[in-house]
Amino acid sequence: MGENGQVQAGTVDYGREVSGGVGMIEITPEASAKIKDMLQASDRQGKVLKVAIVGRGPDGYEYSLRFIKPDDADPDDQPFQVDGIDLLVDADSAPKLEGARLAYVENAYQTGFQLDNPNPLWEDPLSQAVQDVLDQQINPSVAGHGGWVMLLDVRDDVAYVELGGGCQGCGLADVTLKQGIDVMIRQAVPDIKQVIDTTDHAAGTNPYYQPGKGGPAESPF
Amino acid sequence: MRFDSGVRAPAPASGGERVLLLMSSRTYRAGSFIKAAEDLGIDVIVGTEAETPLAGQGSLHIDFSDPEGSVTRIQAFASEVPFDAVVPAEDDGTWLAAETSMRLGLPHNPPEMVGAVRDKAAMRELMLARDLPTPNGFRIDIDSDPEDLAGELSYPCVIKPRFLSGSQGVMRVNNPGEFVFAFQRVRRLIQQPTISGLGGQMGDSLWCEDYVPGEEVALEGMLNDGTLQTLALFDKPDPLIGPYFEETIYVTPSRHPESVQAKIVEITQKVVQACGLKTGPVHVELRVNPDGVYVIDLAPRSIGGLCSKALRFDQGDSLESLILRQALGQDVQGALRELAASGVMMIPIPRGGRLNAIAGVQAARAVPGVEEVIISVPIGELLVPLPEGGSYLGFIFARSDAPNQVEAALRQAHAELEFDIQSD
Repeated sequence: MGENGQVQAGTVDYGREVSGGVGMIEITPEASAKIKDMLQASDRQGKVLKVAIVGRGPDGYEYSLRFIKPDDADPDDQPFQVDGIDLLVDADSAPKLEGARLAYVENAYQTGFQLDNPNPLWEDPLSQAVQDVLDQQINPSVAGHGGWVMLLDVRDDVAYVELGGGCQGCGLADVTLKQGIDVMIRQAVPDIKQVIDTTDHAAGTNPYYQPGKGGPAESPF
Repeated sequence: MRFDSGVRAPAPASGGERVLLLMSSRTYRAGSFIKAAEDLGIDVIVGTEAETPLAGQGSLHIDFSDPEGSVTRIQAFASEVPFDAVVPAEDDGTWLAAETSMRLGLPHNPPEMVGAVRDKAAMRELMLARDLPTPNGFRIDIDSDPEDLAGELSYPCVIKPRFLSGSQGVMRVNNPGEFVFAFQRVRRLIQQPTISGLGGQMGDSLWCEDYVPGEEVALEGMLNDGTLQTLALFDKPDPLIGPYFEETIYVTPSRHPESVQAKIVEITQKVVQACGLKTGPVHVELRVNPDGVYVIDLAPRSIGGLCSKALRFDQGDSLESLILRQALGQDVQGALRELAASGVMMIPIPRGGRLNAIAGVQAARAVPGVEEVIISVPIGELLVPLPEGGSYLGFIFARSDAPNQVEAALRQAHAELEFDIQSD
């Protein structure tokens, strides 16, 4: 968790029905010690830790962990106490956080909080089936080009996706979409009849293949 | 024989037709062709040198720098996965499409003529030999000493690479000093590693020709058994007088008198006939002045970049749709462009440097008549202007009742754009 309290995406899966109660989120001893240590800071004393899911990213749910004053809590926030730490869980997020485990990782590769969430990313089976195709077949392939494909939504028989990284703005993104993503999703999930790309390709900053005439030239001057 | 292509091409979904679409990794046209094929219910195999990450689903890896090897590869592939047409999206694939189509018994242009017109020197020599109106010119060996030649030339003249497009490397020179400088500059350009491989033997010399004054137009056509069908005639209202020839605004219909337009079509028909071209799209650039109409460039492919978005035909056909339908043997001779005036501006690169930011895109889109503003260069990209550069910042598209309104909308939209470019 950085200064803004964001936990990096990509470490979790999520969501089951939850009735609330102590133990919904497990906190490892290392994470517990770190949180208690952080609460000693003068500007955090008296605050509580609020956990929320703020969206979905290419690597799964994206989370927010923030220290807030109890007075700033949302009336619907669900309060818990774990290992002596006061926790607030965003009400909408709570069903998708049951059984999650908050750890603190400190090694050569990363430092920070990490949420391991056993719940699936999507609640409806159709969306989750599409997500599985992305996770198991498509994203491992496009990762070689620095790209990723994210499921935004499934409505009726249409899957809405967004392409990012090297796929965003790539001159051959349509080939990847129509010859690959679309075919693979519809083959694996026959109830999906159409895959729509909602990507703002013009905003791509690092397309793998960039359209351009002739050859890329360097100025001789 | 089992062809180990690594491709698991699906059978045509509808039992319908299948096209091999040739496109390089630098194509602007993938989306337009793929969408057109999808709308027409045509199955597409994409032939490209690009490593497509999900290639198992209908793409064939080919190498445009190894045309003979690619022909063999496509033939072997076709023996297992037959297709009904081979269509090049852009210049890179024109010869390959012609050669493979010929060997597979599909409609095609003569490969040797396609190869000739891709070479600006060979094309002009062919036209000059047939007394067709094109600038007089000659080849200059790349190893020549320009100081030795400079005094023998007539000025102004234009020096250009034989194989690049989009005015890349094209320079007007007005005196011996400018010629020496330009020759060395174009030579450095075509000897860059990223470019030299594109031209093969065409890199052995440059082409130098008379500068022809006048207004430039571009004719977009379709050849049906050698007969020209004019799809659109574009005016290029920005003066192209050098020293570089940056293409910016294209507007159709043309505002030239009907007699001039008829002459343009007549000359184009003669030229494509002389070049032996028979089928598929053709893009011809011409100059018009009081002395006549002169062919500046000819290519057996459709208009480049994203400019085809400026064209719509009856029943909603895109240019790519017409190209695919014609390649599959459908009769598109009745296709008519929409009644509205239409145009595109290829947004020029104002100067070299790192693109930091672009402002005013929303304001440009809000200009009446403007339909789309597409920025095709990512923020952070190093911009290289002409004559060395080979790409545009993006494209502005407009439609209105009259060509003058379209041109005004394009200019106004462009004026709204601000580019923050940092010199490196």
